[in-house]
Amino acid sequence: MTVSAIEFSRLGPPKLRLYAMRCTACGTLSPWWERHHCYHCGGSEMVEQELAGRGELTNYTVVHYPPRDFLGQEPYVVGHITMDEGVLIPAPVVGVAPEDVRVGTRVKATLRRMKLGHEGDIYYSQKFVVDEEAPAG
Amino acid sequence: MRVGVLGIGKTPHKIQHDKSLRDLVVEAGRAAMADAGVEPSDIQALYVGNCGSVGFNYENSTGLMSAHHLGLVPSGAVRVEAACGTGAWALHLGCTAILSGLYDTVMVLGAEKMNDLATVEGTSIIAQAADSKEEYFSGLTFPSGVALTARKYMQTYGLTEEDLAHTSVKNHHYGARNPYAHLRFECTVEEVMRSAKVADPLKLYEVCPMTDAGSALVLCREEILRDRPEVPQVYVTATQMATGTWYAATDTLADAHALLAAPAQRAYEMAGIGAEDIDVAEIYNSFAIQEPLGIEALGFAPQGEGWKGAADGSTWIDGKVGVNLSGGLLCKGHPLGATGSTQAVDIVEQLRGTAPEGMQRPDAEIGISACRGGPGAVGAIHIYQRLEG
Amino acid sequence: MAELIRYGAYLPRYRAPLAEIQSFYGRPGRPRARALCTPALDEDALTMAHEAAGEALAGAEAPGTLIALTQSPPFGLRKLSATLARTLGLPAETVPIDLGGHAGGLLDAFALASALARDGSPALVVASDHLVSHEERVCDLLSAGGAAAFLVGAAGGFARLGPAARAGREVYDVWRLGTEPEPRYRLEVLFDAYAATTTAALAELERQTERAAGDYAAVCPSQPHPQTLRGLGRAGVGPQQLEHTSFVGEIGNLGAASVGLALALGLDRAEPGQHLLALGYGGGEAIAQDIEVTAPPPAVGAAERIPGEAIDLSTYYRWTRGRQAEPH
Repeated sequence: MTVSAIEFSRLGPPKLRLYAMRCTACGTLSPWWERHHCYHCGGSEMVEQELAGRGELTNYTVVHYPPRDFLGQEPYVVGHITMDEGVLIPAPVVGVAPEDVRVGTRVKATLRRMKLGHEGDIYYSQKFVVDEEAPAG
Repeated sequence: MRVGVLGIGKTPHKIQHDKSLRDLVVEAGRAAMADAGVEPSDIQALYVGNCGSVGFNYENSTGLMSAHHLGLVPSGAVRVEAACGTGAWALHLGCTAILSGLYDTVMVLGAEKMNDLATVEGTSIIAQAADSKEEYFSGLTFPSGVALTARKYMQTYGLTEEDLAHTSVKNHHYGARNPYAHLRFECTVEEVMRSAKVADPLKLYEVCPMTDAGSALVLCREEILRDRPEVPQVYVTATQMATGTWYAATDTLADAHALLAAPAQRAYEMAGIGAEDIDVAEIYNSFAIQEPLGIEALGFAPQGEGWKGAADGSTWIDGKVGVNLSGGLLCKGHPLGATGSTQAVDIVEQLRGTAPEGMQRPDAEIGISACRGGPGAVGAIHIYQRLEG
Repeated sequence: MAELIRYGAYLPRYRAPLAEIQSFYGRPGRPRARALCTPALDEDALTMAHEAAGEALAGAEAPGTLIALTQSPPFGLRKLSATLARTLGLPAETVPIDLGGHAGGLLDAFALASALARDGSPALVVASDHLVSHEERVCDLLSAGGAAAFLVGAAGGFARLGPAARAGREVYDVWRLGTEPEPRYRLEVLFDAYAATTTAALAELERQTERAAGDYAAVCPSQPHPQTLRGLGRAGVGPQQLEHTSFVGEIGNLGAASVGLALALGLDRAEPGQHLLALGYGGGEAIAQDIEVTAPPPAVGAAERIPGEAIDLSTYYRWTRGRQAEPH
């Protein structure tokens, strides 16, 4: 849920690219929200690292009862994607029917509209589509 | 430790359009004080567990509101919040208040009024208990976040959806017998499997309803309860709290296990007992998969086998340990702030022998409540014992 | 003369059945297109531009300029090109330029890109549109969406951007009043103006290049309506020149991306030594440009993307109604 265009100006821009946070102490990659603290080693200095955008769908669910921001999009698939760099990223998986989603599918990131904020600010973010170029099996 | 449970009280747990949040608070608080045989002026501090009144009810200072309407002024009052573990945290603070020696008698009260808004609004508000700004930006909700854990468990241990359905069958068996429960119908495995999808693989009968409720306990120093031999001698003998990751993305099955297993281990040591001594357990199960996870964390079954008790009877009323003989959150609902305190009230009833017929485990003497929240961020364990003499 | 270095095209995968849509709105008559290429609920002119641009930039030098054109920007008063540059991760020094929503604007953008491209610093041109028609007029308008992108360099490309000729007349055939969301059409005026201005531009181009319209390997025109393509016959364009570059009868009108998709379709099949004719048109203004292919184009397979995946009427309605009333 987003509060206002002011909050957009803090949150909105980072979602235009897919990145993770790398701990300068232990090198572990964490999802993008871990700006303050490395959950792995307790380190407190995290830097942005852009991701190449490809990974494997290692888990997913299908949402039938959305929050207000996503009303009208249901049912939609939210996946856990283990990126090739090792970090797990949660994101919608689009371009495939919910009943056809399979754990283990190779996926790649793409830019899509996520939702409208309360003041008409449009949030774009990363969603994932099936990676057609990946080798089968 | 020994903290006396002098009185308990609760409201029905269901949709109650004719009652406001303050109505629920007053009803639960007065019931507990009446049960304890105390006056409002005897309550020296009030801990109100309420998770979402800002969102659900457009009001904030629930602790202060409760003190006024319960007639507890001028005693101190505060609102406690820890996501779905809110009620358990209110209980923990009530216990620490007594153990500190600063207070003789306090009240712990959980209350939540969720049904003045439509489901979609409620879903959005509940989502704020997790990282609704960043992680849930991906379209997740609480049910779908836990659904990811359910699928992980299924992949790891080979659990099928039919296997998990037995948990709902057991909870509904007891919910049907609980006059205070929100959902009071039995169901079969087939009916669970056919129920509407909520967040794949979780279905309607595997997720809790949104409920309006209040529940309260009057706690006191051990000596005060000893001096009231007519009151059933039930004490809280352990209270242990923990946090875990706030994110579904970083919540592994090992984390989900440790969230309750670590404080449970400390609680058993604190109470001087083991898992084998537990007669009854209230295990947080707003979503069905959390009951097997909790059963395993509390040491009642090995990891990967927690679901079996619902199918083979060992977690039913006459099994090795009676788990969620109240119908659990699946049937009582999950009135966020009240869930933890209702778990405590229900265990105390079991140890007093006053639970309704068909739910009362014979000769229950030691009970445990396990509350979780966040969905992987809060772990709370309380142990209760009936100690005569 | 500037050169094309790489290109990209993006079509949303979904195809809405125009015959059913017409029937639903009580509009009889033969549908003018088999289907409408329909962006999903979470796509718009920015996301589609991002896809096409990504294809055009793959493995190429970062552009020093990014020119974006659309008639359906997701937001106004903010530069689409600036946001697009960020989504592509382009260096902060990249100059972002928004061009207006004229449907033939791709060739205006080529003129600008040609002037701005330097050695080592190409210019990226991206055209995208997400046309959404209003309920009463859905059957007059072949409203669809898509994007095309072209990397224009000073040298080192596979095709040279040759001479361009222009012709125009002051008409209201396709226009929008102020900042109305909905374009207005007067089809009779469109057919006349398209024919007249493209004929004049082609004649002028022939004077400059000494190459007749009928001598190009392919003609790649913007396509607001199938009837406008038939009008090109009077200007000397033969059906075989349009055989592989016509798509409006399959997937509808892509607005600013229209001539871009036609050009991508033509380039995919072109061989060194051939000349393609790019023909942009919008609101009374026609631009014709000679493009000489000098090396095998890095084809993107645009034709394979035309068929797409069928969606039903209710899905189309849900996606487009939502976009009209309030973008989700």
